[in-house]
Amino acid sequence: MSELTFAKIDQTVIDTLRPPGRIYWLTVAALFGGVLIGAACWIYQIFTGIGVGGQNNPVAWGTYLINFVFWVGIAHSGTLISAILHLLRAGWRNPIARAAETMTVFAVCTAGLFPFIHLGRVWVVHYMLPIPNQRTLWPNFQSPLMFDVVAISTYLTVSSLFWYTGMLPDLAAIRDRASGLRKTIFTYLSLGWTGEHEQWRHYTRIYLFFAALATPLVISVHSVVSWDFALGIVPGWHTTIFAPYFVAGAIHSGLAMVITLMIPLRKIFNYEQIITIRVLENVAKTIIFTGLIVGYAYGTEFFIAWYSHNPVEVAIFKWRVTGDYSVQFWIMVICNTIVPLAFFVKKVRTNLVSLMLISILVNIGMWFERFVIIITSVGRDFIPHAWGHYMPTAIEFGIMLGSFCLFFFLFLLFVKHLPSVSMTEMKELMNHGGDHGA
Amino acid sequence: MGPDRFVMGVFNSEDRTAAAIKALRKSPFTVERVNSPIPSHTISAALELKKSRVGYFTLAGGIFGFFAGFALALFTAMRWELIVSGKPIAALIPFFIVGFEFVILFAVFGNIIGFIVQTGLPNFKGLERYDPRCSGEHFGILASCRPDEQDSLRHFFHENGGEVVDVHE
Repeated sequence: MSELTFAKIDQTVIDTLRPPGRIYWLTVAALFGGVLIGAACWIYQIFTGIGVGGQNNPVAWGTYLINFVFWVGIAHSGTLISAILHLLRAGWRNPIARAAETMTVFAVCTAGLFPFIHLGRVWVVHYMLPIPNQRTLWPNFQSPLMFDVVAISTYLTVSSLFWYTGMLPDLAAIRDRASGLRKTIFTYLSLGWTGEHEQWRHYTRIYLFFAALATPLVISVHSVVSWDFALGIVPGWHTTIFAPYFVAGAIHSGLAMVITLMIPLRKIFNYEQIITIRVLENVAKTIIFTGLIVGYAYGTEFFIAWYSHNPVEVAIFKWRVTGDYSVQFWIMVICNTIVPLAFFVKKVRTNLVSLMLISILVNIGMWFERFVIIITSVGRDFIPHAWGHYMPTAIEFGIMLGSFCLFFFLFLLFVKHLPSVSMTEMKELMNHGGDHGA
Repeated sequence: MGPDRFVMGVFNSEDRTAAAIKALRKSPFTVERVNSPIPSHTISAALELKKSRVGYFTLAGGIFGFFAGFALALFTAMRWELIVSGKPIAALIPFFIVGFEFVILFAVFGNIIGFIVQTGLPNFKGLERYDPRCSGEHFGILASCRPDEQDSLRHFFHENGGEVVDVHE
């Protein structure tokens, strides 16, 4: 910490914006190729029909909804870090807040594509908008799916505005150290920000309000996503624990993604003095906490099923553990609740290799959590003769690959063209003698 | 004769800047603007700035949003009065959720509008009498004076630890 100065922070961040090398562009090109594969699969589905996916009776919700919930979940830790930890005055969040916020914006964008893909007939998407029409039909706001439309679009709008507003002082700092076309671009992007006392007076206030508004929003968004399931009478879904369970799971997966992204970022951009091991350690400690909540929620689900004496509920949970999708169930349990316990050992949570490995495992576990919730419940509900199985098709895998490539493609473009660490918040932290973990 | 000279003193510490502001406010010179790379409570206190009123915009946005969201949900339900599963057409609890999301959305819109109205951004004229170092590690004070006081203002900044002084017509 003592070696960091305002100038050094600026220089370290501005150095990341130097023209990238060949490896960067090759990676970007490869990811773009993945995006094209996903787009081609979607176009094929549009022209051929939704039947090219594996969704069919009784499992009508497949990987499209799994990925939707997964990416919305990934988005949540960005808001936790940028808004909730800001309100709690946790100084260690400052070095990773910008990257986490960016992750939120891109993850919500990626998630937002899946309802469109899942619609099949994407050209009728405007049916979800409350606009006067010749059909005299309006969206049904009693449906949780419509809550979702409102919540996700609000979340995307709010996160994008929060992200951009937070970046204004940094855009100005880059403008002041740039020349030529870059200077012109950053002049317009920074809106003429000069760090004038009147600007700061209002800026600090709106930033606080943004954080205060984003906090209940983030909780409401994943609660609303959980109600897509919980408001149905499907066994395994119809339970009141779903909202807090989903919110905790979302933050759990998002924090894991933060570590997955931050470790390469700090190495490639020489951020070791800014994104210190202690910052990553604090994220790991938070993962222990969210992992325990998720583990508790898994246990509670089983307890509720047993305590209810409802034979259908009992059967579905027994089937999850021992049935056709038990492998996925155990991947979920082990990766999400048992593996993160390794972070109790200081050596594990301060070692980059183990941090990276565990964070990837948690991401895998959280994807399978959504698989288990969505597939197993509709695969075996009340009527045994209507039970069925589900397996994603190559088209679904292609679209899933496209979504992952799109997220990393956008993130990679961001880190080389905009400040991936908030210079202002780092300087603020230094100025207050705050400890970010160096 | 009105003030027609602007002199900028650039400082390398927040405390020196705040001390210079306090001294300036007691002098015949006028503090026009203070530029800093970070938000500073010390500088705000020296300038005796009042709390921003941007919150009123946020509050107004939030109140409007709640009624807009609730009214939208109610309106769309009343357009098609078909009872489904015995549920009431004007169902308050689900409409409250739409109202809540709209509270957040419009409060944020109010927040942004308030910020734009209060700060006047985007505004590129502020860059004219601005030292680019003030977005890095320096703090700048722009003060105005009469033409015949220009030298004494420059001297004032030097005496109070100002590193560099720029003069603007």
